[in-house]
Amino acid sequence: MISIKNVTKKFPSVTALDNISIDIKEKDFFGLLGPNGAGKSTLMSLLIGYQDADEGDLVIANEKITLGNLEARKNIGLVPQSIALYDDISALENLEIFGSFYGIKKNLLRAIIAENLNRVGLYDRRKDKVKEFSGGMKRRLNIAASLLHNPQILLCDEPTVGVDPQSRNAIFDYLEKLNEEGKTIVYTTHYMEEAERLCNRIAIIDHGKIIAAGSLDELLLLLPYEQTILISKNHLTEHKKDLFGKFGTLMNDQEKYELKPNDRLKLSEFFKTMEDNGIGYNFIDVHKPSLEALFLHLTGRRLRD
Amino acid sequence: MKTVLHLIKKDYILFWHDKPAVSLTFIVPIFLIFLFGSIFGGSGNGPAGIDIAFMNQSNSKIAAKLESVLDTTKAFHLVRDFRNDNGKMVPFDTNSIKDYIRKGNAVAAFIIPQDAFTDTSTGLRLKFFYDPKNAMEMQMIEGVLTQRIMTQMPSLFMTGMQHKAETFLGTGKGLAFNRKIALTVSKYFNVDTARILHWSTYNFADSSNIDSAASKSNFFSNLLQLDKEQLVGKDVNNPDATRSVGGWAMMFLLFTLTATSTSLFDENKSGVVLRILSAPVSRVHILWGKYLYNFSLGFIQLLVMFFSGFIIFRIDIFSNFFNLLLVIIAGALACTAFGMLLAAVSKTSSQANGLGTLLILTMSAIGGAWFPTFILPPFIQILSKFTLVYWAMNGFMDVLWRGSNTIELLPGIGVLIGIAAVVNVFSIIRFKKGNLF
Repeated sequence: MISIKNVTKKFPSVTALDNISIDIKEKDFFGLLGPNGAGKSTLMSLLIGYQDADEGDLVIANEKITLGNLEARKNIGLVPQSIALYDDISALENLEIFGSFYGIKKNLLRAIIAENLNRVGLYDRRKDKVKEFSGGMKRRLNIAASLLHNPQILLCDEPTVGVDPQSRNAIFDYLEKLNEEGKTIVYTTHYMEEAERLCNRIAIIDHGKIIAAGSLDELLLLLPYEQTILISKNHLTEHKKDLFGKFGTLMNDQEKYELKPNDRLKLSEFFKTMEDNGIGYNFIDVHKPSLEALFLHLTGRRLRD
Repeated sequence: MKTVLHLIKKDYILFWHDKPAVSLTFIVPIFLIFLFGSIFGGSGNGPAGIDIAFMNQSNSKIAAKLESVLDTTKAFHLVRDFRNDNGKMVPFDTNSIKDYIRKGNAVAAFIIPQDAFTDTSTGLRLKFFYDPKNAMEMQMIEGVLTQRIMTQMPSLFMTGMQHKAETFLGTGKGLAFNRKIALTVSKYFNVDTARILHWSTYNFADSSNIDSAASKSNFFSNLLQLDKEQLVGKDVNNPDATRSVGGWAMMFLLFTLTATSTSLFDENKSGVVLRILSAPVSRVHILWGKYLYNFSLGFIQLLVMFFSGFIIFRIDIFSNFFNLLLVIIAGALACTAFGMLLAAVSKTSSQANGLGTLLILTMSAIGGAWFPTFILPPFIQILSKFTLVYWAMNGFMDVLWRGSNTIELLPGIGVLIGIAAVVNVFSIIRFKKGNLF
């Protein structure tokens, strides 16, 4: 559905994207995570054809995305990070304006607007000025404005910034429903729990490079496990205890082994070895690592500008 | 108190970083003070170099002296010839000098007729053709003309006064009066009577052609008789409103179009431009959309203002309506280009608005929207020709006041469209290089 191949984008002072490649499949809910200045917004701007890449290709639904290919944009809906609406006119007027750019006939557009306003729970407020809306209502309208042309792909750039938990959940529900209905969604966020909840695939980008990509579970397996792993003591584990030494320092307790993992430990390798040796998960007690831990592990704790 | 001082300091820091506010607080007032000071005192010395068409048909010494006086009058620049249809410079005759005024090449013409001053005249007669497109300018020209003649040609009036005395006293009594005066002066100052009589240039004995009509009217008013003829604008319904409507309309149009052009900054900041660009819309579409919107708004605003002028002041906009539309279109195009230029050269909305206010007030002041340009210092009069307000105002005056036809309007319209074209090209280059969106 979305193919990003060897894309590089340079600005005078920085290389924003450095030879990145990503494939996003149809109906993916794809999370794009990265610290400030990592290159997320630049990638989003290339995906909507706001600017051209210096090198590489971006293809969406078999249409090459370039600055000049306006037709390709009909496949894309953008939910900008800011609330990109006109404050002084009504919600209805806003949607009529944004819908008009897609060449939808007036009567059909009215019906689409009504449907979208219903779906985001704003139909009854359609004639109210946007400036009278709460932050959450504006965010919902911001999404509705991106769906008027029924795009196959929805690009969401931090769409829940500054909203209360209730509105955020409503937005999540709505986006999940859209995804279930077949829309491919690319979602950038700083909130790891959002990506954990919503995304079936995630890429972590930093300094213009994709440093990790895959499903949440696949990504978590990349995380060196730094906490103690508890292994039950029984005849099977006692027999294989030399195996554990490969993964760290083993300490012997009366009831269990405590494994202090070394720096190189990858949980995927550890579990595979255990599995190969017939030691089931029920003998091992590990806390599932978080996406945030992985993110900080991969991108570091240094503050970004 | 310390807290208050900290708060004051905070406000000064914020103020200093708001460059448009700084400019509106200091630069704009300083400029306007300079401008008004130049006009109404201070560094200025009154009007200079007003073009006056001039023709001397008299061979008398008085006429030659008068021509010399007018020639050395700083306020006037005498134009004695014009370019005819063959492109040759030829001296004026009565018809061509009138045409010269009618076409708006000068606001007034002085003609010293053959009978401007004879030995029997009680005053100096001049023909004065004029176009009162600016009432203030006309009053100024008449005032300067009278003052120069009164102060620079006293002997002329001495002769005129003696002639007048003779008219009242009769020829014999006039001579007797002169002799008695001469005898009295001779008696007390020991001067030869014949010398005193010789000093008098006026010959009472030769006064056969006395202007009886003039002799009946006020003495002083007859010292300088201006045979005035208004050549342009005689049928204009409301001269004052007709003169001012164009200038004010242009000024407010510029303010409107500055605001609408700089709204691009706000749309960009809010993310709306990004949203629009994610649709099948290009930057060129956005710029064209904004340009044509501004142009149409400007066109409508000018039309509404002129219609209001028609309803409220009975300004005649319909007798030359097609040409009025042409000037409105050219003016709206030029103002739209100005607004887009501001958006192209500025980095923020507030910067554009600050710069816009400065330029609009300056252009309105020196372009003639507030007061006629002839009272401005010469170098500012030259600058005024580089403002679109000047050309638009001239266009509106040509249409409403002079009733000019399309051909006559073309040069002015051409200048406005030329300004729009040059400014637009520059703006497009800036938009391409800049990061507005």
